[in-house]
Amino acid sequence: MPNGKAKDRFLKPLVADYEELLGRFQQTESVRFEEFTAIWRNMGFSSVFYGSLAGNEMREFCHLTLTMAFNYFLPPYSFQIRVGGLYLLYGLYHTQLASPKEKIRIALKDWEQIQKFYQDSVNSQHYDAVYIIRKLIAENAVLYTAMPQMLTFRVKKKPQHHKVCEEFRDRPERVKDLISTDMLQEVANIQGHHERLKASVLERSSIAVTQQDLPARLHSCVLEFLHWQDRHENHGDADHLVYAEEKAQQVESSNRAQLLASIKTKSYGCLAEASKSRRHRQVEMDTSISGTGYIKEATKYHKSRAPSLKARTNKNLCGEGDEQKIQYWLLSAAEEDKTACKNRPMPLTSE
Amino acid sequence: MAAGSSSNVNENIPVFEYKDINTKPFHVGSFRTAWLEKLKPIDYSYEDKYEENEDADFAKEMGIAPETLDELKAICSVDTLRCQAEDEPLDTNVVPPDPTLQTLIQRKKKQDYKDTLRIDKISRVDHYQDELESLAVGKRPEDPVDLVPEGEIILSINVLYPAIFERFRYVRPHMTLQMLGSHSLVDLRDAICCISDLQVFGEFSNTPDMAPDFISKDHFKSAFFYFEGVFYNDMRHPECQDMSETTIDWAKTRDFPTFHKANMEDTRFYDLKVKVGYPYLFCHQGDCEHVVIITDIRLAHKDDCLDRKLYPLLTHKHRVMTRKCAVCHVYIGRWLTTNDPFAPNDPCLFCERCFRMLHYDKKGNKLGQFLAYPYVDPGAFN
Repeated sequence: MPNGKAKDRFLKPLVADYEELLGRFQQTESVRFEEFTAIWRNMGFSSVFYGSLAGNEMREFCHLTLTMAFNYFLPPYSFQIRVGGLYLLYGLYHTQLASPKEKIRIALKDWEQIQKFYQDSVNSQHYDAVYIIRKLIAENAVLYTAMPQMLTFRVKKKPQHHKVCEEFRDRPERVKDLISTDMLQEVANIQGHHERLKASVLERSSIAVTQQDLPARLHSCVLEFLHWQDRHENHGDADHLVYAEEKAQQVESSNRAQLLASIKTKSYGCLAEASKSRRHRQVEMDTSISGTGYIKEATKYHKSRAPSLKARTNKNLCGEGDEQKIQYWLLSAAEEDKTACKNRPMPLTSE
Repeated sequence: MAAGSSSNVNENIPVFEYKDINTKPFHVGSFRTAWLEKLKPIDYSYEDKYEENEDADFAKEMGIAPETLDELKAICSVDTLRCQAEDEPLDTNVVPPDPTLQTLIQRKKKQDYKDTLRIDKISRVDHYQDELESLAVGKRPEDPVDLVPEGEIILSINVLYPAIFERFRYVRPHMTLQMLGSHSLVDLRDAICCISDLQVFGEFSNTPDMAPDFISKDHFKSAFFYFEGVFYNDMRHPECQDMSETTIDWAKTRDFPTFHKANMEDTRFYDLKVKVGYPYLFCHQGDCEHVVIITDIRLAHKDDCLDRKLYPLLTHKHRVMTRKCAVCHVYIGRWLTTNDPFAPNDPCLFCERCFRMLHYDKKGNKLGQFLAYPYVDPGAFN
């Protein structure tokens, strides 16, 4: 079906372009529209619609661009990225070449989030964001729908979920969500109730089953965590601000150094495996090099945000697995024997 | 939980049941009210909002001075997005040289490949088919009574062809209709054109001129829709039977939740409780079953077709290749003959003229022994 195939083809490069644009916007650390348009003009983003698209493809492409861009306007992205998403929608809506213009679809379930975002922008006095939202609604650029996309029950096709870009994700507020002020209030109430019941039932109220100051301790825990998060975040940002230029070069050189180091560790990793007779004396791999957290692939822009807890956990627990994969079939081959490097299954021979 | 959830999950807000596939069932009319509550009437009206009013409201809400407002407008205007100088001529048909965007790199590759092809393979029919969608865009009625009111719901419904043919297994041929929320299910039923409605049964070799009097659509008028456990029957005419009764009785004997019945003509789309993106059933002619999927529900917009008389609106229709006459290969086949000594194969298709010329003499007498059936080509609605 032409619709399905076209969509898949256009999807990946389009998302790559968006993430490039939003990544650069994130780097500017601001939410001003002027910054955004500077990047837009720099990348020549209006030309994303150029090139003759046959027949209905232009309309479908415009529809796809708006749908994909809308994902960046919603949580779980950080506020800055959401503002970037809003500007992106505005830009795409006005530079699209389909006529009459393809509209931005807003589903009922997302309206709450958008209102919250609007309120946040008003409170923080981000005039340009507020103005742009109002302008989009005023110029009838919005379609109020049930669902963000048209659903045709395509079950067989692998559903294309929008992969949340990890660098754009907002700082998780899980602790705050778990222990909200309402919950603390509730706990304090229950505690008070329990104490009163205890006092009325028992003569000796010195027995304490629960911790007396539970709400206060929970509250202090949450505050401590938030302060720690702030400090951690600011620490990362301060580094970036002070050592901007040198860091760039350092990052590049350290990238190269780490690449070399990783090649070395890989080679040591497979040849250091002792033979069967000496398995009890396994050589331990020096993981100190890879522990510095080298960036997996060279990116066009430098990552200034500290990796989130989730990313760090992932890397620490799951990232090492691949390097330690020992290549059994290379063990007994001589170094000069190039034919052994071909990926043929060979029986494991012991020396 | 003692505290309860802080926000009650509103049942009328459609959410995904399976992500990106279909939603949970919700009531269409309540969905509409939910949207209309959240929006100001000016947000979904068809008129252009006056810029001065909008600016004044904005300045008042944010409490900013007029100079700041002007500066803001200049910064946020669309001109800042222009990537070329104003006087440079812009050819939007060509990918700009040295593209940096991934999308453009991919497109350039495709364009270069296309240039190497000698023939451009877009057929004329496909071209017109793509235009079908935009045919009715922006149409206003002459009589203001026929204007689609603001805040009206427009549904897009896909009706798939019956999956009885081999060739319909790998594609999903469908027709897309746009309906208003205030339409009833009978409007949808009447808008669905299926060739089984035009089938004429019976053997007509002796009386070839009487064929058009017996269209199935007039004979078998019963039909039903099935949405979310309710069968909606068409009971407009006295000869319509309740086709869903057999299914309901059968379900009672098995372990199924009870199904209900309702009348098609009394139900409007606003009264329905449906899932978006989920397949439902439309059955007519006794056994011709179509899968019906509601793909989209939204509020009406200025750029839609606003003429009530044009709804239900056909926006997409799958094109089926028609089978031509075995003799002339020009006209679409209208007659199917079997046991025919004149025909090269059995059964054989003929168009009207070739059929008459071959099988009947000038006076209309039947020549030879054969059986002839009127044939309706599936592509008759192209």
